[in-house]
Amino acid sequence: MATGTFEEGMLALLPRLRRFARSLARNEADADDLCQLSIERALKSRDQWQQGTRLDAWMYRIMRNMWIDEARARTRRAATFAPEEDGLDVGDDGHEAIERNVAVGEVDRAMAKLPEEQREVIALVLVEGLAYKEAAEILDIPMGTLTSRLVRGRQALVQMLEAA
Amino acid sequence: MIEDELLIAYADGECSEAERAQVEQALAEDPALRERLERHRRVAARLGVHYGPIVEAPVPDRLSDLLRKQEADVIDFAAARETRESRRRLPGWGNWGAIAASLAVGLFAGQLAFPNRGGVVENRQGALMARGELAEALNVQLASAQPESARVRIGVSFQNAAGQYCRSFETGKLAGIGCRSQEGWSLPITHSADEAAGKGGYRQAGSGDALVMQAAEAMMRGAALDAESERKVRDNGWR
Repeated sequence: MATGTFEEGMLALLPRLRRFARSLARNEADADDLCQLSIERALKSRDQWQQGTRLDAWMYRIMRNMWIDEARARTRRAATFAPEEDGLDVGDDGHEAIERNVAVGEVDRAMAKLPEEQREVIALVLVEGLAYKEAAEILDIPMGTLTSRLVRGRQALVQMLEAA
Repeated sequence: MIEDELLIAYADGECSEAERAQVEQALAEDPALRERLERHRRVAARLGVHYGPIVEAPVPDRLSDLLRKQEADVIDFAAARETRESRRRLPGWGNWGAIAASLAVGLFAGQLAFPNRGGVVENRQGALMARGELAEALNVQLASAQPESARVRIGVSFQNAAGQYCRSFETGKLAGIGCRSQEGWSLPITHSADEAAGKGGYRQAGSGDALVMQAAEAMMRGAALDAESERKVRDNGWR
């Protein structure tokens, strides 16, 4: 068990990590790339994880930091290349796919419009279901900062998703 | 005046007993506040329904292989089975997305019809969980041997992509799917019959039961459990 524990724990976490990645990134492909980078990073720095502490919190933190690095790199790239069209790439793989993007794209679009600092709080608390305290520790911010970002993020989501 | 910060903490189960009492009293007196709370809950429910299916979906091999390579020497039957299963794709996203979208309102209504205290559903840190007689029925009642008088009807029992045992159910105004985790029966899918009756003018894609069945089929890994396996799995505590 001693050697298997870390990998097994990570495998069990993968579905939740994919969901967290998906709520940070705006599409499936980016989310799985983020997952891959985070797993690779975690495997490299596995010595830093202390047995008996929460693997999920450690992984959420790694992933969140990867995403911030990635988002910065993206901003730099975007300044060089033509900006991506706002919204999702709907693609042309048939009517069904388009319909589903219309059906679910609204949430993605609303999340994408939130400032990064609000989106990550919403992702941890509302999507991953973490307690405020756990989320604040992962993001390394005081509770007051967490709650004010959470409130602002939720007010914005209500405005965007409940307007119609 | 209840500020959004307190209202949201209340919705998340993050406020003190005193604050909770304060919010509940204000809610009882103020329809506008109830509407504000509903809006926040609807948005939370939409997020849950939107991102929920990702947890149920098979993990791409390219991700799990990163970890499996590390334990290549370990002959792990369960992992081998999981890999095999994950190649047998589920109906997948398309199906799920559409069903999830049409059930979003139902999820919210389920929360309203059965608030935190009392009833058969509770909101535990943003996750909808079965409690009371619903939890009890999901634990013990067999689809193949349901007493006529049972208030909860169990539909199908099956395993989802994550290997959890899930069961569809219907009780009074609420239909849905419960999946067994360490914490109890989480309810990734619920549908309230209030919408089926068309109240509030929500668009209906179909009857609640049919939607729940579709969702069950989309979530199912392999076939539904037959009577004998259902009994065995139950006796083993749905593990």
